[in-house]
Amino acid sequence: MTLSPDDDFAAAEFALGTLEPGERAALAARRRREPELDAAIRAWEARLSPLAEATPPIPPPADFLPAIEARIRAAAASPASNDVAALQKRLSRWRAAAVGATGLAAALAIGFVAREATRVAQPKEFVAILQKSADSPAFVASINLAKGELSVRPVAAPPQAGRSYELWIIEPTLGAPRSLGIIDAAAVTRGPRLAAFDRAVVEDATYAVTVEPEGGSPDGKPSGPPVFVGKLVPVEP
Amino acid sequence: MSSADETPKASEAAAASDDLALLLGRVAARDAAAFAALYRATHAVLYGVVARILTRGDASGEALQEAYVRIWEKAGEFDPAKGSPLGWMATIARNRALDEVRRVRPTSLEEMPEGFEPAAETVDPLAARARSERLVALLACLGHLDADKREAVLLAYYRGFSREALARKFGAPTATIKTWLRRSLMQLRECLES
Repeated sequence: MTLSPDDDFAAAEFALGTLEPGERAALAARRRREPELDAAIRAWEARLSPLAEATPPIPPPADFLPAIEARIRAAAASPASNDVAALQKRLSRWRAAAVGATGLAAALAIGFVAREATRVAQPKEFVAILQKSADSPAFVASINLAKGELSVRPVAAPPQAGRSYELWIIEPTLGAPRSLGIIDAAAVTRGPRLAAFDRAVVEDATYAVTVEPEGGSPDGKPSGPPVFVGKLVPVEP
Repeated sequence: MSSADETPKASEAAAASDDLALLLGRVAARDAAAFAALYRATHAVLYGVVARILTRGDASGEALQEAYVRIWEKAGEFDPAKGSPLGWMATIARNRALDEVRRVRPTSLEEMPEGFEPAAETVDPLAARARSERLVALLACLGHLDADKREAVLLAYYRGFSREALARKFGAPTATIKTWLRRSLMQLRECLES
């Protein structure tokens, strides 16, 4: 079966971009079912692509690379992806803990970005930037794995009148999120709160901050979705 | 790419193309550093592609971001036998821009912002820094089209003009434009395959 001349022309116009919106959408749907049509569109795109390549450059108004990297992480954390089984597990734990998972999926993705963005000179230690978006760090958690010590420094955490920030460690083997206690929005919070956890657990875990009633979650479970999230990154010597 | 020789050469284009192909290969293997290098090397060309079609800065930035996410996802599908890496990437960017412009409303001449007139006539592919063999062949074939028809093809390609926008530009019915495009595209293919 060969492509009809009309379909071939439609493929050419698809590649050129001159189809009307309805026609374009219809052809985009058809090409998914019709390999021959899809091949014709690709062939036309390839024929014309040297023109695109020769386009005079225009510098973009901003550096979009960080935003693109964040989107890539977000896509990797979406349920459609299968190479993030660990994240999925964490997500389901959160669901089990009756916590809105949507916010976490987005926030977890940003944690990955933080992991790459962090470079602090404190040998043999780990830090996690706890944040909502890549450009708004709220807390920085520093962890000394040898001692199981954790310190959390506020960077730009808005004060919560009558409420407290609570830090959680999330890791599949732990089951539900475990509280690491209340953290101060105005001063450094320190403590050997991680001594009870395995090194591997501490290293792989996701750290999340929720807003709880003053004094912390009444039942030991997060009472809402995390507002800041981060993963540990090794601090380069 | 640090040649003191200012004249673009096909060999230079080929060398740059090889570099991009290598980077794409590493991106396919999920190499984030290669992706950043690929972005740095190509983002101004890809932005040039989407900004000429979308004209609105925010929409262009959005299309550029979507395009690079797609490039990350599809890097493994790039086939050097079917085109250059930059052409492949630019086509992805262009499709994002076209999807957007066709989704919202057709581009019209009236909507072109003041001071932004890199019309297709001034987008001179001949002035490209380095010309690939494929581009040379395509330009030769475009050269065989009537001037109006060539301009229509270039306006559609570079500026995302719809048939309707082309009809207004050339003062011809859209049916006539469709006929022009059909003849021009078929003639181009024939020429490229000869």
